Amino acid sequence: MTNSKMKPHHDMGGDQAGPITPDRPDDPIFAKPWHKRVLGLTVAGGAMGAWSIDTSRFWRESLPKTDYQSFTYYEKWLAALTNLFVAKGFVTRDEIINGLPSGPKQPLHDAALDADRVLAMLAAGAKASRPEVTKPLFQKGQKVRTCLPDATKLQMPGHTRLPHYAAGKIGVILFYHGYHVLPNSNAHFLGECPEPLYSVEFSSADLWPDGRAGDVVIVDCWQSYLEPLT
Amino acid sequence: MLSFFMPHDHHDEDAHSLLPSEPALRVKALETILVQKGLIDPAAVDAIIDRYEHHIGPQIGAGLIARAWSDPAFKAQLVNNTDGILSDLGFGGRQGEHIVVVENTPDCHNLVVCTLCSCYPWPVLGVPPAWYKSDAYRSRAVREPRQVLAEFGVIIPPEQKIRVWDSTAEIRYLVLPMQPAQSLGLDESELALWVNRNAMIGTGLPQPPAET
Repeated sequence: MTNSKMKPHHDMGGDQAGPITPDRPDDPIFAKPWHKRVLGLTVAGGAMGAWSIDTSRFWRESLPKTDYQSFTYYEKWLAALTNLFVAKGFVTRDEIINGLPSGPKQPLHDAALDADRVLAMLAAGAKASRPEVTKPLFQKGQKVRTCLPDATKLQMPGHTRLPHYAAGKIGVILFYHGYHVLPNSNAHFLGECPEPLYSVEFSSADLWPDGRAGDVVIVDCWQSYLEPLT
Repeated sequence: MLSFFMPHDHHDEDAHSLLPSEPALRVKALETILVQKGLIDPAAVDAIIDRYEHHIGPQIGAGLIARAWSDPAFKAQLVNNTDGILSDLGFGGRQGEHIVVVENTPDCHNLVVCTLCSCYPWPVLGVPPAWYKSDAYRSRAVREPRQVLAEFGVIIPPEQKIRVWDSTAEIRYLVLPMQPAQSLGLDESELALWVNRNAMIGTGLPQPPAET
């Protein structure tokens, strides 16, 4: 069994929760004007290349539990973005406190995204796939067992994309996606360390006490999340 | 002791907590500093917002599904060479670099979630709706998909199995719904109106377009 005390607050698959409120067809894409500003700042900030999407995710999920649970979605993005700009040395805490930069207005930074590059940047994206180094360890249809999330982390507390509900469970390899950047290292600036990535299928009945036989859940797992079943 | 780059290395108090408490003012305060320091071009932010508010949205995915329903050769390409065909059509890009199309059949209904954050195929569906990012959906979709679907008004018959795709990597999943019998024979542009966003996430089914 996984230790529920160790389950971080962002890893919520399977938790008890209230009803879902579907949106209505005429709901706006952005509920508040500042939401879109946060989205734009986050995408533009990320395009500077000073951190990866894995780092952004890790900094959002590392917000203190009280903030993570009380913040709305775009407040989490904003908080993590602010912390990252400060941590990477682009902005100082004093500047945040004063609401003003410490010096005169600066020309656009070399790495900053200028408006002319936006369309090309969005259209290109950033592929996570990397060339295959050696053949994958697991074959389609093979049974595997997942590790515990903490066992996949390269440091504590660290980043992983293995959810607790799928930890220590037996599943079957459904797809091999080639080599992908490993978030567990990349989030912490420890290198891309690409690994084979698989879609692993689990029977709902194996995941949940009330799981329905026949229904399945598929989780994408890097090779180091998996052990062969002997 | 190795020193890694971590969110809480040096300060107990997060930098973000130093910003004003009202969210709209908080964003404004940060943007002001970033623009003054040359780190952000406000025109770039405007351009990003414009793309997601006016250009990139579920109408792109709906067009792809309608074409797949109309043209078996295109459907085969969309399912088997997804990234190639999306790139050729100019619909690839950020948060949709690796898309897998999962097809609903009478035996299997597909449902997409991201339990760890809010991963979603942006280039074909746009920005995710609030419910997709909610704690309730992220918590419940993997454990009780049939009850979740019922809250969206979708009842899956017991003999149809459910496959829930938890988007834990950079693979993004797009559901190819079954074409409703009543829509057979319609042309591609009419069919696109039957394909709503939720049908491509799995929380909906294609519906006749609302009367206008």
